[in-house]
Amino acid sequence: MKALMSLGALIGVAGLLLLGGMTFDIVPSTTIRLVEGYMPMQLLFEVSCYVMGFAGLSYILNAMGMGIPRFWQGIGFWVFFLLYLKYRVYPPIPFSVRAMYGTVGLVAVFMWISANEDDWKKFKQPIMNVLDAQTGVNKLLRYAYLVLLPILIGGFSFNAMMPKSEEPIELRTVHPAPPASTKVHGKTYTLQTSQNPYRVNPEGKYDQEYSNSNIVEQGMGRLMKPNANPWDENSQGYLKYVREGGEIFFQNCHFCHGDNLNGRGLHAFAFNPIPANFTDPGTIAQLQETFIFWRVAKGGIGLPNEGFPWASVMPPWEQHLTVDEIWKVILFEYWHTGYYPRTWD
Amino acid sequence: MGLLAGKRIFSIMALCMMVGLLLLPIVVALPSPATGEEAPVAGEEAKKEGDKVEKGRDVYYKTEGIVVGAPAPKTTDGPKDYPRYNFESRVLIWFANQQHLYYGSFVLAVPIFCMIIEFMGVVTKDKALAKRYDQLAYDFIKISLTAYSLTAILGGILIFTFLTLYPAFFSYLSGIFRPVMHIYALMFVAESGTLYIYYYGWDKMREGFLKWIHLSMSVVLNVIGTLLMFLANSWIGFMMSPAGVDEQGRYLGNIWHVIHTALWNPLNLHRILGNMAFGGGVVAAYAAYKFLASKTDEDRAHYDWMGYIAMALGVAFLIPLPFAGYWLMREVYAYRQQMGITLMGGLLAWLFIIQATMIGILFLSTNYYLWQAMGRMRGAEKYQRYIKYLVFLLACGYMVFITPHTMVMTPAELKAMGGQQHPVLGNYGVMSAKNGGINVIITTTVLSFVWYMRGNKVSTVSWAKFGNIFMGVFFTCAYINIIWLAIYGYYIPANVRVGLSVPQVATTLSCLFFMFALNSVMMRGAKQMGPIEWGKISARSQYALIMLATAFTWMMGLMGYIRSSVRLFWHVNEIMRDNSPWAYTHTVGFAANMISANVLFFWISILFVFWLGSLTAKKAPVESKAGIPGSVPQPATSH
Repeated sequence: MKALMSLGALIGVAGLLLLGGMTFDIVPSTTIRLVEGYMPMQLLFEVSCYVMGFAGLSYILNAMGMGIPRFWQGIGFWVFFLLYLKYRVYPPIPFSVRAMYGTVGLVAVFMWISANEDDWKKFKQPIMNVLDAQTGVNKLLRYAYLVLLPILIGGFSFNAMMPKSEEPIELRTVHPAPPASTKVHGKTYTLQTSQNPYRVNPEGKYDQEYSNSNIVEQGMGRLMKPNANPWDENSQGYLKYVREGGEIFFQNCHFCHGDNLNGRGLHAFAFNPIPANFTDPGTIAQLQETFIFWRVAKGGIGLPNEGFPWASVMPPWEQHLTVDEIWKVILFEYWHTGYYPRTWD
Repeated sequence: MGLLAGKRIFSIMALCMMVGLLLLPIVVALPSPATGEEAPVAGEEAKKEGDKVEKGRDVYYKTEGIVVGAPAPKTTDGPKDYPRYNFESRVLIWFANQQHLYYGSFVLAVPIFCMIIEFMGVVTKDKALAKRYDQLAYDFIKISLTAYSLTAILGGILIFTFLTLYPAFFSYLSGIFRPVMHIYALMFVAESGTLYIYYYGWDKMREGFLKWIHLSMSVVLNVIGTLLMFLANSWIGFMMSPAGVDEQGRYLGNIWHVIHTALWNPLNLHRILGNMAFGGGVVAAYAAYKFLASKTDEDRAHYDWMGYIAMALGVAFLIPLPFAGYWLMREVYAYRQQMGITLMGGLLAWLFIIQATMIGILFLSTNYYLWQAMGRMRGAEKYQRYIKYLVFLLACGYMVFITPHTMVMTPAELKAMGGQQHPVLGNYGVMSAKNGGINVIITTTVLSFVWYMRGNKVSTVSWAKFGNIFMGVFFTCAYINIIWLAIYGYYIPANVRVGLSVPQVATTLSCLFFMFALNSVMMRGAKQMGPIEWGKISARSQYALIMLATAFTWMMGLMGYIRSSVRLFWHVNEIMRDNSPWAYTHTVGFAANMISANVLFFWISILFVFWLGSLTAKKAPVESKAGIPGSVPQPATSH
């Protein structure tokens, strides 16, 4: 147990030094790289290590008779968590989400330090000491709070009331709800039931399973399936259409959406927000093909009211591409990213 | 034994007879609309006049039927269709609806509690405990009685509000549901009659055969109550996903189609569970309030115990609630894609983040209460040092669960983030991760319950060590399975991913059932480290109960608003358009304020109900004090 806790303590100290270094820009924030694709689990794993580390550190310090008071443990952990969110995670997390996480962190700390009566008493003690103020230091602190608190509250109020010229906060709708049907090139498509006519098997019939079996394996890397190469001149049916879609994509779309479909094309950073990243599991992987069809055909200006504020500059591609070309591009996007469109069966 | 069996048979027969009598008017009323009797008559009349019989196609069932109703009115903004006060009519109807729903849920849930608790009292062999359960059930029904009258009053107010502010819409809806509305009214009468006999007959029917009759009456009461709710659900189900009418909204003669819409069943299940959890929360808050106001140890012990039982019952129904919610959402998606996206990915997505926040608060409060409750048992100290790890699991699950997919941010933050999608938040913000998050939270709650159940006990079975290791491994495997499935969900098609929620739920429920069962077996004849000292619990725990109840109330208001506003500018989805000036979706801030106002009003009014209950308690003889819980170490359910 002691050995385990000592190891934990070592991890805790190392982690604290690293985070401290990153906070003060002494240690580059890329020292332990956050790997795209693994980041969500990596972050949870890191925080778990920190928790184990702090538990070990606390255990060792207690054993050495140098235990940190519960009050400072609680506050310390919360401050650590806020700093971690601000300085460790890259790209930066918006303030609104950090505020949510920070509040959850605060609640968690409260639940931890007040889970039983002894811990709660230990935590409250320094606060009670200041309120009781039996010693000079505590009296000084109490007077300091007496002066500081009104100033702080006044400051916050002033700040809240002061007219500002900051950019407005926007609540962007990631997936605006599509209409029930859409009219493209004079034909009406019911979005609930329409299908991509090129998702076909070798016999030329619509076959979701067949196309799925030809989609690249996403796994932990993106691999092309054996004998599923759309760039092969002999590829037929579904794979042939994927190639044709790819050609259309690279003629029209990759300037913004990028060679890797990750939204980082040549012109991408001229826009805010930058174009959609199709490799993210939160975009096309969540949607039906008909949704993408509607979005591609109508572009940014074809969004319903609920889609605003959006500021998407994507043109309505129905003015430049045929219906068949749009379907083929969509086929390529799913093939390339390794995702499958949402279906209802 | 034979006598007991005979009594049970008699009570069942009496029960059946009572149900038959109560439902007789409904059965008599049913054949006409159910068989579409009116339709052929209407058809015959038309034939006589030499007109062609007009047929319509059901918008949902796609069957053909003879048109027997008028089309949905095309309303215009004006005093005819939308008469109004100098105030937003929608807010008034929102308020009336919400308050009626709060009270309705409460009075439907409490009799179910009474039924369970009274049954526990009847079957338990410990006489003192049986008396305590009986008294508790009586206390519960007493609370709900005043609330029942208020429900009826609020129902009346709601109908008047509809009639005065939305006459065209109400007339259309009541035209479609005409037979159902009459059945509803009849059932309300039956519910009232049963409830009053149940309440006032409590003392007279305290012993033997009569007690079984009394208990059977609670079954009847709950059957009627549940059917009432199902009928009311059919109206909102029709408004969201109409069926049994053609494109113009004309009734096609089949009332079952109108009732049994795409969303009716998931709504029914969700509401039953929701009502129960809500009812448990309100009663727990009542007990907490009484505990905090108690002057004696005996009262504190009683209300501590009452709060615990109510909380346990509420949480028992809270645990399956998210799964019922997923089913409802799945059906919404299947019914209309744009409705599903509006709810969870589009316009109303942020309200779902708030909902997730509230669900998290419910589970966190429950866990916190249980940890506090371990403070009243000797021997539970051994678990204290592990609580921080449970907190960690809960917090991680919670953070993933509330991560928004639609982010609130400034354009500068958007640019710094490099687009709408964040490599971490983008993954946490979708269902695969969220399923993992909520299942981790629920599994941890189950673990807290298991610890609570064994708090003051040491197993004496010979295989105790093996049992403990098995339980530890089971929980560990459950966590690994849930988290692994959450990650795996990113690598498979979306429709398969949705199906992954099933093994995740199965894992969580396995923990719930197997671990509870195993723990109960292990704790049979266990060595007691000391009695549960009812009443010796921190005040913080009682605030957690109040928090639980408030979160329930707030969440119900929120979810009702979300469910209703997903119709956007339709009174009846895609059939009858709302042409009033208020056919727009409120801002999140306004909706939140409105919900808070409703919650505040409900709690102020229910405090009045509690106060009325306390007035009768003061008049009651000392007998109501019988069986103070402190005298008996623990309730049968908890250990």
